[in-house]
Amino acid sequence: MVKIEIDEDACVGCGSCVDDCPNNVYEMDEEKNKTKVVNEDDCMACLSCHEICPAEAMEHKDIHVAKRLYIDRKVSGILKKII
Amino acid sequence: MEYQIEREEKEVLGDFKPELIPDACGGGIDDYEEALHVLMKFVGSMSSALEQVSGRGANAIVYQAGKRMGHEAGKMVEKTDDLEKAMQELSEILGVEFFFDMWKPADQTEYTVENGNETIVKLIFRDCVVRQTLRRTGLPQKGPLCYLLYGYTVGAVEEVMGIRGKLDIDHVGPNACLKTLTIKWGGK
Repeated sequence: MVKIEIDEDACVGCGSCVDDCPNNVYEMDEEKNKTKVVNEDDCMACLSCHEICPAEAMEHKDIHVAKRLYIDRKVSGILKKII
Repeated sequence: MEYQIEREEKEVLGDFKPELIPDACGGGIDDYEEALHVLMKFVGSMSSALEQVSGRGANAIVYQAGKRMGHEAGKMVEKTDDLEKAMQELSEILGVEFFFDMWKPADQTEYTVENGNETIVKLIFRDCVVRQTLRRTGLPQKGPLCYLLYGYTVGAVEEVMGIRGKLDIDHVGPNACLKTLTIKWGGK
């Protein structure tokens, strides 16, 4: 089962994940002005929320991580040396 | 003076003679990776240009191409009118590069929903070469290339089950895409 963790220190409360999630997995916690997970069972691990989150504040655990054969390992290798 | 193209890699020389069944293809994993990336770039550019020239008609062209592929692939497997068995066969046709599952919201009991003479099932595509190609070339999802997979899936299901079907996009994401397969009972 999918487990989602939100880093509350990183979350900027923009609500992008709330708007983008097709299955209403997230809601805004109005008091804290942070995202909270309310419907974890319906998460299909599309990871659209990861793509849209400006703060990289979330982590999905125990999901099928799709193959990323598009990654250019040569370029990644060079970037790792620089960054 | 004779001009020579300079390369980092050393050219591999060997003997070659006609063979009935080849048992080696040459190259290592890096060659496969490079070939895959070149193909991704080629296919991505082709899709982009097709869309530029044909506009929305590009989707229909690519869908038709995919559907034809699906029908051809569907001929290789056993025919069935059982949806679950058909999904199993579809999984074998599409292979590991199009790893998909049936999906349902947590409050729904069955994967399938009956609606008159239609059966609706949601499919979640987790691994997808099309998505990877789009990301390699920086193209948006839901474009013509996605229609290749839709056509392929619909064509294969139609062939296996002998019915008419359609596939709609519910949501596309970087790690998975949700689609709705609608099967219309009552033949073609």
